[in-house]
Amino acid sequence: MSNPQVELHIKDKGIITLELDEAKAPKTVANFLEYVTKGHYDNTVFHRVIPGFMVQGGGFEPGMSQKPTGAEIQNEANNGLKNDNYTVAMARTNAPHSATAQFFINVADNGFLNHTAPSAQGWGYAVFGKVVGGKEVVDGIKAVKTGRKGFHDDVPLEDVVIEKAVVKA
Amino acid sequence: MAFPEIVAPPAWRTVDLISDLHLQPSEPATVEAWQGYLDTTPADAVFILGDLFEVWVGDDAAALPGFEARCAEVLRAASARRPLFFMHGNRDFLVGADFAARCGMTLVADPTVLLLHGERWLLSHGDALCLEDKDYLRFRAQVRTPEWQQALLARPLEERRTLARSVRAQSEDRKRSPDMVWADVDADAARDWLRQAGATSLVHGHTHRPAVHDLGDGMRRIVLSDWDAAAHPPRAQLLCLSSAGAQRVDLR
Repeated sequence: MSNPQVELHIKDKGIITLELDEAKAPKTVANFLEYVTKGHYDNTVFHRVIPGFMVQGGGFEPGMSQKPTGAEIQNEANNGLKNDNYTVAMARTNAPHSATAQFFINVADNGFLNHTAPSAQGWGYAVFGKVVGGKEVVDGIKAVKTGRKGFHDDVPLEDVVIEKAVVKA
Repeated sequence: MAFPEIVAPPAWRTVDLISDLHLQPSEPATVEAWQGYLDTTPADAVFILGDLFEVWVGDDAAALPGFEARCAEVLRAASARRPLFFMHGNRDFLVGADFAARCGMTLVADPTVLLLHGERWLLSHGDALCLEDKDYLRFRAQVRTPEWQQALLARPLEERRTLARSVRAQSEDRKRSPDMVWADVDADAARDWLRQAGATSLVHGHTHRPAVHDLGDGMRRIVLSDWDAAAHPPRAQLLCLSSAGAQRVDLR
């Protein structure tokens, strides 16, 4: 069975196609697909954009209002997948097993985000897929102008909007 | 005009460069990451290239118990282990000789050339090279004069704290305005500085846009990362200079 793919339609920029690794990150992929199918990511933004690091989104609507999310999921960062360039991983809070909807696309090899130990410091960030189409769209996002909005740094000055996220048939 | 030079003693193998930590009491995770870093880095010297502090209202702030005094203790402990160099940023340009002495740090000019293992590194905060932001550069020229600083520092500490808050709020408003200048380091100005310095690599912070930019003619501009340890994934990165060149090190 082939891996599921999700298209992120980015307003005025194009489509990013993500291939999700269901075998190595089953819980994370199921969680992500659930948010996709119930439309959670439609009209959300990439709110944290740092070239040379990662672009993060899926948690805020334009205007930086935070969207409600479901339950926190188990961190599958110990699945062997690495936070390499153009992989997609789950964001979270300080607690290792606290990811909900927010994800990020690595735009560099971020080895320091990989799992090293089952500890608060070492859990790392769970990679669950990779960009297989629209890398130029990702490159376009990481190049946008950013500034500070409220308590958030590195926020695009012009919203980078995910118009819709759809599971590719 | 010749830039000031620091010649690294032969015993220095590695030198760390950090900038833009924007330390403030409301961001304890970054303060903790910074302290942990200073406690453990194997570097033979550490250069802080501006905006260590989110705001600095005068060295007298560190004479009272509080955030500034705690930071002074961390810096003092770090400088007891290895030389510590401090360059002003646009947020903490009021850090003075008193605070530097108390922390055992050496204040360095912006820019400064570091000569390490035969390589000349031109170090800067970077704000002076963002030529498009003319309003800011006018402000910068004004606040870097001894007269302006003396007049400000003569005002009571609490008044300066209030003033700093309102300046910061105005600056945030300005950044939100659609006609804001989104300035970056000017490539011609950077090349000019590098030629004057007889160097090929400029390292700076300020813009929070970490990258390596090719400036042509064998010259390059290396941009340091800002720090934000409370964000997830977190951001706490240094640039380590050695005989092997410049290497980014992410802390976790």
